[in-house]
Amino acid sequence: MTSGRSVRVQLLRLLLPPITALMAAGAMIAYYPSIEPARAAYDQALIDVGVALGERIRFDNAAYELDLPGAAERVLRTDRYDQIYFRVLAPDGKAIAGDPGLAPPPARAVPKEGVAAYDDLYQGNEVRVVAVLVPCEGKVCTVQVAETTVKRKRLVRDIVLSSLVPTLLIAIATLIIVWFGVKRGLAPLDRLSEQIKERSPRDLRPIEVGLVPAEAKPMVGALNDLLGQVADANSNQQRFLANAAHQLRTPLAGLQAHTELALALPVPDACRAELEQVHLATVRTARLANQLLALARAEPGGTQEAGLEVLDLRRIVEGVADEWVHRALARDIDLGFDLAEARVRGNEFLLREALANLVHNALEYTPAGGHVTVRTGIRPRADGAQAVLEVDDDGPGIPPDQRAQVLQRFYRVPGTAGVGSGLGLAIVAEIAGSHGASLEIGEAAGGRGCRVTLIFPVASA
Amino acid sequence: MRILIVEDDVVLARGLARILEAEGYAVDAVTSGEQALLAVTQERFDLVILDVGLPGMDGFEALRRLRAAAERMPVLLLTARDAVDDRVRGLDLGGDDYVAKPFAMSELAARVRALIRRSQSQVGPKVVHGPLVLDTVARRAYLAGAPLELAAREWAVLEVLLARADRIVSKEAIIQAVANWGEELSPNAIEVYVSRLRAKLEPAGVRIRTVRGFGYMLEEYRER
Repeated sequence: MTSGRSVRVQLLRLLLPPITALMAAGAMIAYYPSIEPARAAYDQALIDVGVALGERIRFDNAAYELDLPGAAERVLRTDRYDQIYFRVLAPDGKAIAGDPGLAPPPARAVPKEGVAAYDDLYQGNEVRVVAVLVPCEGKVCTVQVAETTVKRKRLVRDIVLSSLVPTLLIAIATLIIVWFGVKRGLAPLDRLSEQIKERSPRDLRPIEVGLVPAEAKPMVGALNDLLGQVADANSNQQRFLANAAHQLRTPLAGLQAHTELALALPVPDACRAELEQVHLATVRTARLANQLLALARAEPGGTQEAGLEVLDLRRIVEGVADEWVHRALARDIDLGFDLAEARVRGNEFLLREALANLVHNALEYTPAGGHVTVRTGIRPRADGAQAVLEVDDDGPGIPPDQRAQVLQRFYRVPGTAGVGSGLGLAIVAEIAGSHGASLEIGEAAGGRGCRVTLIFPVASA
Repeated sequence: MRILIVEDDVVLARGLARILEAEGYAVDAVTSGEQALLAVTQERFDLVILDVGLPGMDGFEALRRLRAAAERMPVLLLTARDAVDDRVRGLDLGGDDYVAKPFAMSELAARVRALIRRSQSQVGPKVVHGPLVLDTVARRAYLAGAPLELAAREWAVLEVLLARADRIVSKEAIIQAVANWGEELSPNAIEVYVSRLRAKLEPAGVRIRTVRGFGYMLEEYRER
């Protein structure tokens, strides 16, 4: 199988030689049957002239002569296209009249029924010659009549053209039909590829076979099989992750429980310091496990498309606000809300996870006595209304030259306090991407702190 | 107060038991749903802590059967934050609350206290929150043993906050619970009632926290 070549070019290449051969064959088939009778007719006309001239040979005083009045000769020599020449030879081969330069009949021109027709040259031009044997006084005279070949060539040309033109037209029509027919025949494939191009990389549903031309169905079928396998592999991975997360969290919970119990005992200070490190590490490990799961979920194929539904960002925030308030209280941070309805199409688990990471970061990096505000609502923007989810803090903020880098996995702003994994904003960015949302990092009101804004397309209903 | 722990991880179960025992509860621990069902038929528990990721009969099935066996017994679900998370969150299977693994012991203890308090207040006429006691039948309030004068609206607001102590209650939720049918009550009015309640309760260490832009939270009472 040749690869990468256009179907059109291939078809044309395939069609061109047979079409050319057909044209040649057609021309030949038209040419031979029609050229022979026409030539015979022209030859006959020359023979008639020869016979007529032969009748004008006189024998007088033991010498042959041609009795041809000047007017008759002019008539004889008159032709619309061709020059006509003749020569009359006495039985002894001596030329008695006509154009003396005409050569005698060559040996190859064997007379049949008193006539020989052959091609020759006269004065450098091609001529058709007939030699007619004429009885005169008991002997045989020869009359040669020659004619240039203009008429004959014109005849040949006319015959060839008249047969070639229609075949040529048919050939051109065939090529045009092939060219546009292929384009038209392949149009459903173009639509199909547009359809595939427009798909989101997380969309692993099979391609609809309904609109696909029959010839492309096996290809689409194979593609769908592949999509199905990828989706299966993804959901297997999904199950594995969920399982792994659960398996990991239970022992971590046990570890955390016993560390906290140990910390509640009257242990020596040196021991307590170590236990506190163990406790911190446990909490971080647990958080890391959660984040890795969230990241895997946010990646293409991590969630089923069916998981997207119309959600109100406000309700999501309200549903999880309790979880943060205690943490904020413990850190003496004023956690506040500014919530208005904001409907988006999304996956609730992922949106909650994005929100949790944003609030976690804000609470982590805001000093005691600081403020964190979670905001939802609809905002008019240049390209129409957008739903926003925004978290402000008055911590140290993220320097402008670090704002792109903090979205990379495991990247941490140099010199940052705290115990983050560098995954939080990467997860938020991944989740934003999976919702067609954009992520902006800036300063909060007054040019201080950090503001992270997720801007979503508004869901209509 | 008797608590049943249903958790197949022995290390975690032992840790939980020790913490709850330290809080003064009597604790029994089993490792499967089947054992839990057997236990509740033999003993009366004030709370069940149930891991939803049990081997064999899974936690949801166990929960359904526990509910059938002991309708009013509160159940606190332990979950790993995974695919079952959403089902748990809806609590549509009859769990009263859930805690995601791993968790801080203080958080678990607080949830346990809140659940038991809630179930007790449903059966008894008295709601107790530290030094604050609301006798819902006699409609009398006491603070540190002394009678507490509360206007009708103040009483209503306090009742809503008490029912969801240690949780945020949105202003809208308070308005819905407090406003008479067809009455328009402004968020500002709620602020007035809350500030009056604060003036009366804070001297005894009962705090109502403002959650900016959202609502209020009756903080868990801690001895100092």
